Amino acid sequence: MIERFEATRYVTSRLTDELVVASLGNPSVDLYNAKDRPRNFHLRNSMGMASSCALGLAMARPKEKVICLDGDGSLLMNLGSLATETVRSPKNLIHIVWDNRSYELTGKQPTATAFRTDLAKIAEGAGFAPDKVERVETMPAFRQAFDRAMGGDGPWFIHALVENNRAKPPRVPFSPAYLKHRFMIALGVEPG
Amino acid sequence: MPWAQDVVAALKAAHVRFINYLPDAMGEQIFRIVREDPSFELLPLAREEEGVGVVCGQALGGVRGALVMPVSGLGNAINALASLAIPYKFALPMIIAHRGALGEFNQAQVAMGQAALDILAALRIPCIELKEEKDVPKLTEGALRLCYSSESPVAIMISTQVAGWKE
Repeated sequence: MIERFEATRYVTSRLTDELVVASLGNPSVDLYNAKDRPRNFHLRNSMGMASSCALGLAMARPKEKVICLDGDGSLLMNLGSLATETVRSPKNLIHIVWDNRSYELTGKQPTATAFRTDLAKIAEGAGFAPDKVERVETMPAFRQAFDRAMGGDGPWFIHALVENNRAKPPRVPFSPAYLKHRFMIALGVEPG
Repeated sequence: MPWAQDVVAALKAAHVRFINYLPDAMGEQIFRIVREDPSFELLPLAREEEGVGVVCGQALGGVRGALVMPVSGLGNAINALASLAIPYKFALPMIIAHRGALGEFNQAQVAMGQAALDILAALRIPCIELKEEKDVPKLTEGALRLCYSSESPVAIMISTQVAGWKE
């Protein structure tokens, strides 16, 4: 099984100019603690919106890689976004889902992936190319899948089965408007 | 339809490129003009809430998008508006086709259509209603200016008074 923070640190160790969108809770807190940078955008609420936000960003910035760090609970709340992602199929999009099979932060209640649901199969059914959907359970397999996604055209879907650990604090200390402006300033984009 | 041409002209003048949408008969009046204009790109959504995330992502990347949807979709988008567009201060133009109001035939459209203006008011989202054909260019241009200057969601509600109702 993959340790989510270690995998997040691997992602951040490979970053140069890439843009990262993190879902609320564990994906966001791990990203903040692995490496805080202006090109990281954190959802502070809006469960399910990370994938949609990353799609919009990938459409607007076709020359930069956009990495979405999602969770199983969040993606299950917005499964339609997988279908919408493949309508455009942006080559620069890497959608990573940390699947711990639970709503960890609210008391480890099981999500549907604790039963019969397989998010990698859903991604394929939604229209991701089968050779760009990876289901990984070990760190070496995750590193290999992520390196492949960083080096080639997507969209990629990496379904990472992770241990059910709570992200260690501190939480992201920034206000939503600050996160937005910091990100846009880093891209040289005028707010508004 | 002249009102739809005026709305599209205002979107184009405001440099909106992405038209993210859930369709309905009123919206189609807009899409048929947009499809013929290469300065726009259309993105069909599965649910209106996605559109809030998508427009915010497009804005983060420096490209303007709009969300075009029927009023029922406003109900599907509420938490994303309240937790993403509003606190992060994203300019989010929403072009909303009003059902459940003047001329409505379907009782199941009425509650959402009647509540929509109050819901927007409760969220402090300005709502500009397009009721008269002659006012459409000015009101749409003004609503978009407000949206971008305030970095906030703004609703442009298309009334059946201007767009006609379903028979």
